Amino acid sequence: MSNENRFRTLVLPHLDAAHNLARWLTRDADDAEDVVQDACVRALRYVETLRGGEAKSWFLTIVRRAFYDWYRSNRPQEIARDAGAAIDTAVDDAAIGPEQAALLHADSQALADAVAKLPLGYREVLVLREMEELSYKEIARIADIPIGTVMSRLARARALLQCSPLLRAIGEERSGARS
Amino acid sequence: MNCNEATSLMSAFTDGETDRARTHSIERHLRTCPQCAEAHRSLLALRTRLRAEVPYFPAPQALRTRIAERLEHQASSSPVDRAATSGRWRWLTAGALGGCAATVLAWMIGTSLLQWRANEDLALEAVQMHVRATLNHHLIDIASSDQHTVKPWLSARLDYSPPVQDFTADGFALVGGRLDYFDRQPVATLVYRYREHTIDVFVRPESARAPPSSLRTVRGFNVAHATGSGMDWLAVSDVNTEGLSAFVQKLAQRKLP
Repeated sequence: MSNENRFRTLVLPHLDAAHNLARWLTRDADDAEDVVQDACVRALRYVETLRGGEAKSWFLTIVRRAFYDWYRSNRPQEIARDAGAAIDTAVDDAAIGPEQAALLHADSQALADAVAKLPLGYREVLVLREMEELSYKEIARIADIPIGTVMSRLARARALLQCSPLLRAIGEERSGARS
Repeated sequence: MNCNEATSLMSAFTDGETDRARTHSIERHLRTCPQCAEAHRSLLALRTRLRAEVPYFPAPQALRTRIAERLEHQASSSPVDRAATSGRWRWLTAGALGGCAATVLAWMIGTSLLQWRANEDLALEAVQMHVRATLNHHLIDIASSDQHTVKPWLSARLDYSPPVQDFTADGFALVGGRLDYFDRQPVATLVYRYREHTIDVFVRPESARAPPSSLRTVRGFNVAHATGSGMDWLAVSDVNTEGLSAFVQKLAQRKLP
């Protein structure tokens, strides 16, 4: 089978997942397309090395790398913010005021906004888990981190969402139970 | 199992990612601890909301089409195809969004990816020319920061007269111009300096219908394109993409003096 055909049969079925991941990482429609196109070029180049069963996580790994390359050259100022300390402390760095939160939490945009505002390291594992329903093992492979880190980042991402000012609705649903 | 242990495992438990023994002890704990049971319910509620409210972004059709074209081209990169697309500047939009904005703006200026098929060669050619000029120290045929010197020099050697402006005030200083042979025709190259970076701008008459602008990276160099003032503008540099595309748009946007 030619490389193009391998790409068509093995990789293309996961284009939606690739785009969704790129879209949540870049948070921009045009940038997401750029990242996916770059990932496709790379995937086509290496598709020979791909074994069938793991096509999705293989492709998503490439998408994620393409994103980080894009990120380094296009958003260098954001890297410092996402790296290191920020990952443990940051909640919403564009801190949303209470009145904005009140406005937002009424509509279902609120949760999407809160996800978009998660620090990158949390956002990527959350998207892979909740939208692609990948196992911790697959996520660990794609994000290039130990399984234990996948576990702790997901727990933290969820905790951040639950206490996000955007999402008081969830807190209220819990009828006073504190996390 | 106590509440602390249960709390630290709750998220993984909700994902079905705890091993059998732990799953069993958490389940037992949840039956006796209303607080942890509540935390578990709240995680499940969060998941339900995430799946219901957070949008999933499938690949747009335009992207699929471009990728399919790319594959086809790769499979049969025939000389016929290349002959048919070269000779013209064929810039295509990277997305409908770019198209919308461009229509509204009428200037047709924006930033997106170069259409792969026809333009990968062109962007590559531009980068090669830029690299060659830099390596040979042959950046400039006519060295001048005066637009009124550079412009007539170029006009005298081409069958069109490229608009030439100095943007020193914005940090982009005109240092000169040269003639290049690009995409099978002579073309005016304006040379600007931005801090330590050299920027080559290839200028030639706008082709056919005004195309949306483009941006891409070739071997670490950024290539940005815009259309305006009756010209196609293609800038190559190691200046970052935002800076470069802003600059090329400014060049294109400026009305003729």
